[in-house]
Amino acid sequence: MSDDMNSGESDHDSDTDLSDHMDEDDDYCGYYDNDTNDLDIDKPKKTDDPEYFEFELLQLEDVERFLNEEVEVLCSSQKIKPSLAKMLLHAHNWKKEFVIECHSKNPSKLLVDSKVIPKTKNQQLLAGPSAVCGVCLSQVARTDLYDLSCGHMFCGECWDSYCQVQIQQGTTLGIACMANDCDVMMPEDFLYSILSKPDLRNRYSQLSFLEYVKSHPALRFCPGPNCPIIVKAKDCRAKKVLCSTCHTMFCFKCGLEYHAPTDCDVIKKWLTKCADDSETANYISANTKDCPKCHVCIEKNGGCNHMQCSKCKYDFCWMCLGDWKAHGSEYYECSRYKENPNIANESVHAQAREALKKYLFYFERWENHAKSLKLEEQTLDKIKSRIQEKVMNSTGTWIDWQYLLDAAHLLKKCRYTLQYTYPYAYYMEKCARKQLFEYQQAQLEAEVENLSWKVERAEITHRGDLENQMDIAEKRRLTLLKDFLDI
Amino acid sequence: MAGGLPRRIIKETQRLMQEPVPGINAIPDEQNARYFHVVVAGPEGSPYENGVFKLELFLPEEYPMSAPKVRFMTKIYHPNIDKVGRICLDILKDKWSPALQIRTVLLSIQALLSAPNPDDPLANDVAEQWKTNEAKAIDTARQWTRMYADSN
Repeated sequence: MSDDMNSGESDHDSDTDLSDHMDEDDDYCGYYDNDTNDLDIDKPKKTDDPEYFEFELLQLEDVERFLNEEVEVLCSSQKIKPSLAKMLLHAHNWKKEFVIECHSKNPSKLLVDSKVIPKTKNQQLLAGPSAVCGVCLSQVARTDLYDLSCGHMFCGECWDSYCQVQIQQGTTLGIACMANDCDVMMPEDFLYSILSKPDLRNRYSQLSFLEYVKSHPALRFCPGPNCPIIVKAKDCRAKKVLCSTCHTMFCFKCGLEYHAPTDCDVIKKWLTKCADDSETANYISANTKDCPKCHVCIEKNGGCNHMQCSKCKYDFCWMCLGDWKAHGSEYYECSRYKENPNIANESVHAQAREALKKYLFYFERWENHAKSLKLEEQTLDKIKSRIQEKVMNSTGTWIDWQYLLDAAHLLKKCRYTLQYTYPYAYYMEKCARKQLFEYQQAQLEAEVENLSWKVERAEITHRGDLENQMDIAEKRRLTLLKDFLDI
Repeated sequence: MAGGLPRRIIKETQRLMQEPVPGINAIPDEQNARYFHVVVAGPEGSPYENGVFKLELFLPEEYPMSAPKVRFMTKIYHPNIDKVGRICLDILKDKWSPALQIRTVLLSIQALLSAPNPDDPLANDVAEQWKTNEAKAIDTARQWTRMYADSN
């Protein structure tokens, strides 16, 4: 292939090719560097790109300011205290407009729903100058008894130690009244008036800030290790975020590694499954398989995929475990998983085996792409040093060789998506849509492997050929995402 | 203990001794006033009737701001109590209130014996049996009571 393309080398260095190349640039460089966003304002890319997502990376102080502004809006609109405004916003996931609307219409209902006030107030009769605190059981002067809006009176000392224990256990915004079966929440001004230890006051303020950020649908902590960045986006969607501080790429909605086209619930299920089963799966998939006929465990000790069971003499294919005869003279096609059509009638034992087999099929491919991605990283390093070498030897300028880097970046991006198609396929019900998905997955798989082959042999591959292959691979990737990424 | 025993624990202990709860006996350990030896009688009409169940109850340092720790010492077949005697009861966990007392906790445990809750199980196999074949589960609970919780 690449030999044929070499004949037209000179044509490909024309202006049109260069401008095409510039277009590509925005497409995949943005994948790793969000700063290019402002460059393509006048291009229709945003609506075309199924992965497009607008977000801001904020520092802690910016977020504090942002949250205070939200609180301030509610306070001034409804003439309420900031501590109450915070409780209401937290209870309703910071849906400010909703809270304002409810508070204007029926404030008491909102306050009851938000556990700020009780359904019915406790009518504790306090006659005389002192009463027994229900927690320490001591006689306490009335002036030292305090209650939340529910009217359950306890002494200041008990409230103080209660708050201390709660904060030490990590509870802040969820501290409720001390009375049994009372779920009225403690406002922060009450807590600050009662809490005696300054270090715990700081702890409360830090922990409650974390809680506020967690409950805000437009905010998410960057999951990178020790990264202080908080991401802010217009809406909470399963979209890709790249942190420019720690370079972690993750899903805005769930905070896990970015996982398109698989959705948040499914990737969580998949990762848990892989973590639970990985040791067994690793060993079994790396070393052994069961004979499809007699289920004896077989270790592969040679390169040939044509296996013969030493026990029952059955000839089968190592990759798909199918009868070797069916493979005939043509090479086997093993990229999609074929379920045993008669599985419902098989024994529980056989069904368990089938379930494991199915999982291993997808796991092997998932794992394989993860490993390839790491190898691709090495390829990128090699390319960088080769470009350096060439430029130093005056074989072209630095800018001339950029397309190689772009190709390596694109390859990583395509393989990444390909890796995440496997959990998607694993959990997909058998249907026509799955057939379409597997078709597109196979197409992407083929083009990614082609691209990988050409990137590794970049020097002997013609630039036009490589760029053509990049274009095809990226188109396959985008088609798959457009059709299957839930937006 | 540096500060001695909190007044609340002393008061609770006194009242437990003076006005014991019917069917429940809680005696503080001689060495450690925060540790109670508890005996609960199987409630009438339940599969645990005529059984005598030993429990241990410990009041942690933070008590009453934290819940007491309670565990069955006698083997019992119950969907909310596991093999090692741990109890699945909301007031011992997230529903704990400092206004609850040893007395109320033990009453709740007694009530749990009368009304098992297989929908919120701790011992999954027992809960499963309870849901699929209640008659058989109750039968097993009776057998276990005779075997392990005989008052003699």
